[in-house]
Amino acid sequence: MGYTRYFRRNWQMYALLVLPMLFFIIFKYGPMYGVQIAFKDFNFFKGIGGSEWIGLDGFREVFANQDFYITLRNTLMLNFLDLIVSFPAPLIIAIMLFELKVVWFKKLSQTILYIPHFISWVIIGGIVYQLFGQQSGMINNLLTSLGLDAIPFLSDKNYWLITYLLTGVWQSAGWGTILYLAALAGINKELFEAAEVDGAGRIKRILHITIPGIKPTIVTLLIINLGNMISIGFERPFVIGNLAVMEYSDVLSTFVYRIGLESGQYTLATVVGLFQAVVGLLFLLAANYISKKLTDESIL
Amino acid sequence: MNERAANKAFDTWIVICLTLSVLACLIPFVHILAVSFSGTVPIASGRVTLFPMDFNIEAYKKVFSDAAMIRSLGFTIFLTVLFTALCMMMTVAAGYALSKKDLKGRKIFMFLIVVTMFFSGGIIPEYILTRELHLLNTIWALVLPGLISPFYMIILISFLAGIPDALKESAEIDGSSQFGTLIRIILPLSMPVLATLSLFYAVGRWNGFQDTLMYITKPELYPLQLKLYHMIQNSQVSDLMRMEGNAVSTVVPESLKAATVMFATVPILLVYPWLQRYFVSGVMTGAVKG
Amino acid sequence: MTNDNGKRKLALGLSAVLMSSMVLSACSSKDSSEASGNGAAPAGSLKIEIFDRGNAPAGVTASDNFLTNYVKENFGKANNINVEFVPIPRSEEVTKLNVLMASGTDVPDIVFTYDSGTFNKYAEQGGLTDLTPLLQEHGQNLTKFLGEDTLRYGQYDGVQYSIPAKRSTIGKYASFIRQDWLDKLGLPVPATSEELYNTLTAFKTKDPGETGGKVIPLGMTIAAAQYDSLVWSFIKPVSEQERFELTQNLSSRDYPILLPGFKDAIQYMNKLYNEGLISKDFALDENKETLTQNIGNGLVGAFSDDNDAIFYPDGTYDVLTKNNPKAVLSAIDPFTNSEGKTAKPVSAPNGMYIMIPKSSKHAVEAIKYLDWMSTEGHLQYIQNGIEGEHYTLEDGVPVSIPDLSVESSNKLSGGGDIGIIANGRIFESQEKNNEAFVKSFRTQYQDIIAKSLTISTTNPIEPVFTSRPIEAESKYGTTLSDKIKQLMVKATMVPPGEFEVTYESMLKDYMSSGGQAILDERKAAYSEQK
Repeated sequence: MGYTRYFRRNWQMYALLVLPMLFFIIFKYGPMYGVQIAFKDFNFFKGIGGSEWIGLDGFREVFANQDFYITLRNTLMLNFLDLIVSFPAPLIIAIMLFELKVVWFKKLSQTILYIPHFISWVIIGGIVYQLFGQQSGMINNLLTSLGLDAIPFLSDKNYWLITYLLTGVWQSAGWGTILYLAALAGINKELFEAAEVDGAGRIKRILHITIPGIKPTIVTLLIINLGNMISIGFERPFVIGNLAVMEYSDVLSTFVYRIGLESGQYTLATVVGLFQAVVGLLFLLAANYISKKLTDESIL
Repeated sequence: MNERAANKAFDTWIVICLTLSVLACLIPFVHILAVSFSGTVPIASGRVTLFPMDFNIEAYKKVFSDAAMIRSLGFTIFLTVLFTALCMMMTVAAGYALSKKDLKGRKIFMFLIVVTMFFSGGIIPEYILTRELHLLNTIWALVLPGLISPFYMIILISFLAGIPDALKESAEIDGSSQFGTLIRIILPLSMPVLATLSLFYAVGRWNGFQDTLMYITKPELYPLQLKLYHMIQNSQVSDLMRMEGNAVSTVVPESLKAATVMFATVPILLVYPWLQRYFVSGVMTGAVKG
Repeated sequence: MTNDNGKRKLALGLSAVLMSSMVLSACSSKDSSEASGNGAAPAGSLKIEIFDRGNAPAGVTASDNFLTNYVKENFGKANNINVEFVPIPRSEEVTKLNVLMASGTDVPDIVFTYDSGTFNKYAEQGGLTDLTPLLQEHGQNLTKFLGEDTLRYGQYDGVQYSIPAKRSTIGKYASFIRQDWLDKLGLPVPATSEELYNTLTAFKTKDPGETGGKVIPLGMTIAAAQYDSLVWSFIKPVSEQERFELTQNLSSRDYPILLPGFKDAIQYMNKLYNEGLISKDFALDENKETLTQNIGNGLVGAFSDDNDAIFYPDGTYDVLTKNNPKAVLSAIDPFTNSEGKTAKPVSAPNGMYIMIPKSSKHAVEAIKYLDWMSTEGHLQYIQNGIEGEHYTLEDGVPVSIPDLSVESSNKLSGGGDIGIIANGRIFESQEKNNEAFVKSFRTQYQDIIAKSLTISTTNPIEPVFTSRPIEAESKYGTTLSDKIKQLMVKATMVPPGEFEVTYESMLKDYMSSGGQAILDERKAAYSEQK
């Protein structure tokens, strides 16, 4: 098939792409010249173009900083734990909701489960301290009144990890179910009916019909999550973290905030950002490749 | 018989697990609600948990009598609807085209888009771009830079890929154009994911305020979350304010903060129950049969 | 065929809608930019930054209210200068200012920041106007108002690149104790560190507040207001040279980490913590929230704080007396050092740094504006409002009229943020400043505030002045101030047996993360100054 003929048949597809690609070129690629800040001694008054080139000095400075490695390790560690704990949570809840037969309870619990997504981290932080504080936290008040020892949920680094993970699950699991529920809605009902006729049990049905039915969604999310392994939001570790557990709670985003933005050292902040972008993209491509080989699902 | 008992036990476990999760999600919200109806002294003493103490509705009176707050609600709703509508058009256009696996150049387009998930120019070039396009202090500064989220687009693509090719092909054999197939076949089949993505875009816009801090200085264009952020942030920097020597009467009562959280959150919370009807399972069944 | 056509039209329609929305956006943005008048500014124009705290009452905004109009009328019209206020969100001031500076345009002619690091950075990068000649020509009143002592804080490497605001009082900290607990136990008001320790132990064992074992003898947080008085009382008197070299100024605050005695202070904190005499959760309480609750609930026996912090309406003292009508606080000054003096840090005499970007074409107007503000009661008008409507004069000190009408109180909105040349209200003498400060509070608290103000300025330790910025400090400041707090937290919370090891290993980390670099640079700077 010649190009002309191919284009004549598919021109509408390209027409649909015109505006979206324009959007990406103007609003995403347009500002990307800012990346060169990583290689310049950025001066506010000379602007990006006028600042002097310093080559890899910015990178040298970041890579020589011992805190960079600690925060990098913590970022990977917290994201990895999140992947194990927080990634499956919405999937499990979504399947439970899907299996639920009582319609009013289903609708009600869906609506309530996603509320935490709307509460800002500053407010969550306040509530977390009221709940988990060692001296005046509600949980420890309960424990001590039962004659048990108070648990340092926030000031011992290992307990803190649990608090951090649970808060994350609590905040995002309900919201995450929405996507799975949309995917579940797309599964062909006849499959379930056929399985029932065959006499397959509930668990079996979940494993052989439900999960394969939403596999593309799960894999897509997993690939994107792996691409984001090296980037981490600022607010959650910042709000839930504290000085006593900084060994674990200090992550790349808080590191950038400290060395870069607070003191106006955009060069260093951009260097870390560039590092994260390159590694993140590599992670994503690798995950995509592996997934394509193993499951035949991919996003690229 | 045995299986029925097993089923019953399974259902019971689900109900128990979900009830616990629901309670965990509800309690903090109830706490904020309780604070919004409470007096200053019990709040400051940390005694308000799930029920209001020194019950009063002063905070709500104050929120609802603030004309700027009501106007901001109106603006935020308008902004969110406009943003969501444009985002969905753009995302569907791109997602549909790129879901065609054999489209020539698809890989290049996808790669170009995925790169933007990781690399960005940073706030200075973004600010300069917004200024050069004369978008500062207009609603478009809050709309245009976020029109397509690559992440949501990829989700859409993975859904569209699940629609059997047979459907599209049969439509095209019937003489339908590619646009026509999109409108008549694909979109009706994708209601659950379209509803989901609309919700994601809408909530993202509703909750977002970082861009408004940079691009908007006109109070008429302040979204609700920005007002809420100002209020919460103001009490966070109280230490600084003291240093600034004008701390008197700038303390915002906790109950007013809580009432504002409610005012800024409840409208968007109501969107989901309304969208729930699109999540009814089995949309696809009829289509495949037909 | 017709059917096919219809579909195509529909399809094209979709693209058209998308397209038109883009065109539309282009149009409307053009309109609005013309409306906001981005054209060439008239010769006599002045753009002034103003903090937007988002708390302007209904009907007014941070950049358009009674007082901004007062400025436009009385300064602008009179000098034929078109004044415009540019709102900047308070909590994002540094980020937004950085972006504006880097964007090259849109920068106001007068900008300011509290962050000395930001000021030093701008000065170092050559982005600020040298103000010395301008001050000589157009700013004599301003120079007189601020005084040399304040002005020198606005210099970078000897050049006047900024105008620092003047502070009305430099006192920071006082301590407070539950007088009713002391009376119940028949104890005297503690006047030395040792007496305080004994009192705290008595609070712990005898629990005079009947808290059921929840008593916190000394309320503590990881904010300077709570620990500074205690820590500095351990710092040994040193020579002027040692103080210059060993002090580490991080994020505009002097830390005594290398001064002799700091380790003893932390070891003492460790002892208090392990004996259960200070708040268990102090490490989590950077914004004083838990401490405030505990004081309000009557669990805390004594604490240090900013001299005015607990006296505001619905503030800590109000809550305490509402919960415990019998509770009475006394202001005390118990932290004595090796010389028996209650030495404690005070603020530098300056507030924010006011700067004029080099790109500004209106530097003269900018200085004229600041000079205008310092003359003929303009600052007083901006801060206090109208005599008779907002305040009455008592002994030459303005006293607020209570229960203003909404209209009247709206007129005062934003005053503190327009009067940038001063932090607090400033009069001819320090005594007047203090009196005005005390009188701005409610009558029932005026006695204790007067006392706490006196305490906060007794045996003051002034910040170390450096005429040339220490580069390592602006580079590592944020990192190191976090590391110091981390050290204090960790070394305080370990069992006494592990104190030595923990302290030394964290100090080593501190020194290698930039502490040593600062020390070296300060030593060099001192010998240079000589």
